[in-house]
Amino acid sequence: MAETCSVNLWINEERYDRLNKIGLTNATKDVLAGMKVLQLQCTKEQKDRILTLYPMAKWDSATTKSIELLPAEAKDRLFNLVIEKGVLNIIEEFLKGVNQMY
Amino acid sequence: MKHIGHGNKEIVERVIASPSEAKERVKGLTQVAITGRIARECIDIAYGFFTPLDGFMGKADVATVCQKMTLTNGTLWSMPIVFDITGEEIREKGIKVGDTVLLVYQNTALAILEVGDIFNYDRTEMAQAVLGTTDGRHPGVRMFNDLRDTFIGGKVTLVNIPRFNPPFDKFWYTPKQFRAKFKEKGWERIVAHQTRNVPHSGHEWLMKGAWFSANGELPVEKLRTGILVSCIIGPKRVGDYIDEAIVLGQQRLHDARYFRDDIHMVSIALWDMRYAGPKEAIFHAILRENMGCTHHMFGRDHAGVGTYYDPYDAHRIFDQIPKGSLNIKPVRILAWWYCPICGEVTYSGLCGHSQEKQDFSGTMIRSMVQDKVKPTKLIFRPEVFDNLMESADKYGFGSPFCTEEYLSKRQPVFELPPL
Repeated sequence: MAETCSVNLWINEERYDRLNKIGLTNATKDVLAGMKVLQLQCTKEQKDRILTLYPMAKWDSATTKSIELLPAEAKDRLFNLVIEKGVLNIIEEFLKGVNQMY
Repeated sequence: MKHIGHGNKEIVERVIASPSEAKERVKGLTQVAITGRIARECIDIAYGFFTPLDGFMGKADVATVCQKMTLTNGTLWSMPIVFDITGEEIREKGIKVGDTVLLVYQNTALAILEVGDIFNYDRTEMAQAVLGTTDGRHPGVRMFNDLRDTFIGGKVTLVNIPRFNPPFDKFWYTPKQFRAKFKEKGWERIVAHQTRNVPHSGHEWLMKGAWFSANGELPVEKLRTGILVSCIIGPKRVGDYIDEAIVLGQQRLHDARYFRDDIHMVSIALWDMRYAGPKEAIFHAILRENMGCTHHMFGRDHAGVGTYYDPYDAHRIFDQIPKGSLNIKPVRILAWWYCPICGEVTYSGLCGHSQEKQDFSGTMIRSMVQDKVKPTKLIFRPEVFDNLMESADKYGFGSPFCTEEYLSKRQPVFELPPL
């Protein structure tokens, strides 16, 4: 099976309201005794591209198998793409956008 | 009273405490400016944190450490402790074996170094031996690669006592002071918790689990086992938690009484992590043995980075060293996770809900904080979160994470008074 990983977007009240407006609150997952997270799945190849673009981010291979510590602006852009497209499958779109910026 | 450290050698402080004597001792010596790492290691050597080392290693010790994980006298030792300098500076200053030089940190005298050996050593070989890799993406490899081309071995004596700035001053103890403190507390067993993190509940339970292990068969009416939190103070990178948030966060767990006052103590240790996984675990054990600890907790992926080491390599290495080579016991602990069925943070070695468990990590919690989401109290104590925000305001220029501004403007952990 191909290795997959996720980018965790932690959902605060403001983000929850925006998800609610487009009917996507059911895409969030309740974890850790009361937290909401939106998990964006990506492939190993996408993970490697993200980590190249954001060297400060960290692939938590030991525990959570997720990409953590992406800069706030990258996470905001990911979240805004989810809201704009109404789907979770936006990693490729996100990467294309970042590549165009540089 | 004699204090015995690693290798069954007495802990000897190499410190000239009298400023007038120190001034006299350094008069006319050739000056050599040193890096932050070397300054921290001079302090460690001089106070006995690295017992039985009384200085930087000569070539023979570096070779046996790399090849056999021992000093030349056979004492277990996993990490080269080296003083690097350029060959050019050696030539320009005419430094030769038998000389004594004055080590200057941030324009102030710190220590003297008696030159016992001048040598070259293949830095790649050193990295391969210690880290098991020469991959330039490994931070320890980069550290070895950045060493200058020549090394000086020789005894170190501190001539200027560092002054620790608040809030670190309350957490700094020398090995002799640690031992006096443990005696005062009536602790017979002390389990060390090494950390570079603001504590989440996983860390808290690691410590609590280690306490149970270390306390073992001792009576429990009057507790004689303590937890020593040993926060590593070394170089920082943008995005790391600020040092103040780490140390004060650990203390906040204590002050908010998640630990009893009589079984828990927070401290700092000066060390530049090599991220050497198993070999660093051995080194950490030696360091804490010298600090007077009897046990050392090792969790999953201790001192590891990326996927260079198996998560439990740092446990297994303790099965590979000769019996009696360490006077400190490793306490090996698996991960703690949140279990929604049990409704609590629980130990992976006990909880059977491996399909339902939810992992969390310090990195994940840093992500939550970056996303401006307050973690739930079951995984991150609210008092520790409040401390994080207070530290951001008070020390971090508004951020609990290291920024360029923090790195350039922060108050140093310690300073040296003019000699």
